[in-house]
Amino acid sequence: MPYNDLRDFLSKLESEGQLLRVDEEVAPEPDIGAAAYAAGQLPNGPALFFEKVKGYDAKKVVMNAHGSWRNYALMLDLDKDTPLKELFHELAKRSDRFPVPPVVVKESPLKGIIIRKDINIFKELPLFRINEHDGGPYLAKAVVISKDPDDEKNQNLGIYRIQVKDKDRLGIQASAQHDIAIHLRKAEERNRPLPVAIALGNDPVITLAGGMPLQYREDEYEMAGALRGKAAEIIRAETVDLMVPAGAEMVIEGEIVPRKRTVEGPFGEYTGFYSPAMRQAEIKIKAITRRKDPLIFENLYIGKPWNEQDYLLGLTTSVTLYKQLKAMAPEVISVNAMYCHGYGTIISTRSRIGGYGKIMGAKLLATPHGLAYPKFIVIVDEDIDPFNLNEVMWALVTRFRPDRDLVLIPNAPGSTLDPTGSPRGLVTRMIMDATKPVAPDIPLESLSLIEPPEEAAEWMERLKGLMK
Amino acid sequence: MFCPRCDKDKAVKFFEAPKDKSWKLYRCRYCDFVWRSTEKDSVKNKDLYPSDFKLSEEKVNKMTDKPAIPPLRRA
Repeated sequence: MPYNDLRDFLSKLESEGQLLRVDEEVAPEPDIGAAAYAAGQLPNGPALFFEKVKGYDAKKVVMNAHGSWRNYALMLDLDKDTPLKELFHELAKRSDRFPVPPVVVKESPLKGIIIRKDINIFKELPLFRINEHDGGPYLAKAVVISKDPDDEKNQNLGIYRIQVKDKDRLGIQASAQHDIAIHLRKAEERNRPLPVAIALGNDPVITLAGGMPLQYREDEYEMAGALRGKAAEIIRAETVDLMVPAGAEMVIEGEIVPRKRTVEGPFGEYTGFYSPAMRQAEIKIKAITRRKDPLIFENLYIGKPWNEQDYLLGLTTSVTLYKQLKAMAPEVISVNAMYCHGYGTIISTRSRIGGYGKIMGAKLLATPHGLAYPKFIVIVDEDIDPFNLNEVMWALVTRFRPDRDLVLIPNAPGSTLDPTGSPRGLVTRMIMDATKPVAPDIPLESLSLIEPPEEAAEWMERLKGLMK
Repeated sequence: MFCPRCDKDKAVKFFEAPKDKSWKLYRCRYCDFVWRSTEKDSVKNKDLYPSDFKLSEEKVNKMTDKPAIPPLRRA
């Protein structure tokens, strides 16, 4: 059954042995970040539920809720040991149900407490610094809702890092390649604020959908409904004209102050590097709605791969790109975009004509995510599994001809978090076509692949039986 | 008080632990750095704060806006 909210999901994780309760009192720094880092490094890492945070009453913290394939499988209501390939295919199948329109509800525990004045976010949440050199406490797993000022029906959900600077003032990273930046530009051209709602502690599939690089006009609530097998429930915000997840622990309502940028960061990012302090947009909080205590603050450890951010984003980014590419090119077999939010992407495809791999790379760049993210792009044949790096390396070293199969696109858009940017936000994109050349391209010298012996399959079963 | 990150004398205490006052939170009114009294010295002491992460007015003035602020639309 789909989970109604985060608490439902945490109960399931606990019943499956995938949630650990930390009963001892923890210091906000350094304990929570350190423990979450460790949990993300463990194979089959559990969610961590901190019962007592020093200095606070009745506030809990949850980390690593998405931080292992077991937790991920349980989120999709599958057996916890479902293999990665099956998770990919299940997500692809469910996304075909898109769109599943959300259902508007009138009541929710999210409205248990409504604060419109004397706002102090530090009183409501046990905030903490995640990595040692971050510029302050951050909300790293918040789903931000905003809409297009020119098209009221075009609402967007996205996960954007949010620095907590003061009792009612936040910084937000609204990177140019993301949908919220389109909304912000339109508002700022008119010198108007952009209303936003920041939802914390969501049903895990809402968070999952919020991180997917859908087309600009596609609604993440409708994708969440497709993935969870039931329409998402949404409710109207109190002070901004936006619809928010009804199952959230808390929603912070406010507006991005127009035409203002102030120092934000540094912040340890998914690249494994700190992105330095930059001048970014600011949010003024107008209201907070939340569940009654005990409140659960869900946050995310983010840093050197692999950690929770990679589980949260990797597979859905791969599936989204796979679907978008398949619509352009039926030859696509599979996509692995799990390395640093898709900086490294491997596509498996049949080749329609000579040189096809280069054009497949170009098609990737034409997707929304392709605007700024994939920069180390490898194209492989249909006999290579893009999730099997041994096979990918084999394809590269036996099929890739640098003088014929390498495409560089210099001075192309890149993430401002990419440490190789020169300057920041501008990178060289690279396509490596590691497919076997087909006509009219010059063929490889040898095309005779060694097939496994016919009898090997039977021997495999016998040997497995003997090993038991 | 002095901000550990930018060295300006613009920091203030703005919150303390609601349950038991076991820690205090400070913020710098210039660079918005926030720190807690219970953090390690390399976070809260301006003489021990790592030089790579130090900020100055010069550095702040050189930062570019992200995203860029667009031109105003003519009426």
